[in-house]
Amino acid sequence: MNKDKIFKLAKGFRGRAKNCIRIARERVEKALQYSYRDRRNKKRDMRSLWIERINAGTRLHGVNYSTFMHGLMKENVQLNRKVLSELSMHEPYSFKALVDISRNAFPGNKIPKEGISA
Amino acid sequence: MAAILPSSSSSIPASSTAKAPSSLSASRCQFVGIFRTPIAPKSSSASSLVVRSQAQKQDLEAVIPREQRWMFEESEINGPDIWNKTWYPKAADHVNTEKTWYVVDATDKILGRLASTIAVHIRGKNLATYTPSVDMGAYVIVVNADKVAVSGKKRTQKLYRRHSGRPGGMTVETFDQLQKRIPERIVEHAVRGMLPKGRLGRELFTHLKVYAGPEHPHEAQQPVDLPIRDKRVQVEK
Repeated sequence: MNKDKIFKLAKGFRGRAKNCIRIARERVEKALQYSYRDRRNKKRDMRSLWIERINAGTRLHGVNYSTFMHGLMKENVQLNRKVLSELSMHEPYSFKALVDISRNAFPGNKIPKEGISA
Repeated sequence: MAAILPSSSSSIPASSTAKAPSSLSASRCQFVGIFRTPIAPKSSSASSLVVRSQAQKQDLEAVIPREQRWMFEESEINGPDIWNKTWYPKAADHVNTEKTWYVVDATDKILGRLASTIAVHIRGKNLATYTPSVDMGAYVIVVNADKVAVSGKKRTQKLYRRHSGRPGGMTVETFDQLQKRIPERIVEHAVRGMLPKGRLGRELFTHLKVYAGPEHPHEAQQPVDLPIRDKRVQVEK
């Protein structure tokens, strides 16, 4: 690529990396490699963010993420994690209904403890 | 500025071409010049808690003025897509003055278990609106920090180390000695180790307020009791 294209891509870089071609070329190559890698990483990061949000939302209702998803799978609810996380944030009543559906389908694996816990 | 622009453009339709350059620059950041719902005072504490299915439907006329409609694509004509894009908090969703304050009494509570719950609440991981890059958590006040408990022989054997940076500058103290000297530091050290390390983590740490005695100066913030779900945090006497 010629210098103008490199400098155009190097806008906002720190120090000489935006002004001097030798340094800018290296940094721009690295930046393009990072953006290639991160287009794939972004999908992973987003999914883990959705899962964290769903986890927090379900724990407000006393259920954790794993039992919740298992219950939904059993009921063949095919909502994806993106939508579930948006529901948990902005549609609390609908989300509670989903948690109830999941709880009915899969109440959990807890073995009731005999006696008083120490 | 956002309020002035559309009212002027609606009152002077003839000079819409003259207004176009200024509205163009304003709409480079989308919807800056757009009058959505009238600039209403913040109704609830956080706009993230608005139940979307119960929010008022916005009239198309109120969303995009007729002169600017050509600038927006078909898909955005009814407003930004809020259902297919993952929600990211705006500045109004994490104003420090509207955050919850929690208070917890550390008397006879196991140090690590208590610190873990505190860190979760400060970071905001218990909220469905959790975002890792934004401070969505609450403030936590710890009182009676000098009475925090540890199990086993940690009271005499747990070491707190610090290094001044110079050779031979390592100082080692036991839990006991540090509790006599600066009791707040024990809880602070524990919670700091459980918060993220970085710029945001340092800012989160400032949301922890530790006091050695039973009093705290934050009555004006009306702190609530911190809900602890760990069953083993309290030392049985």
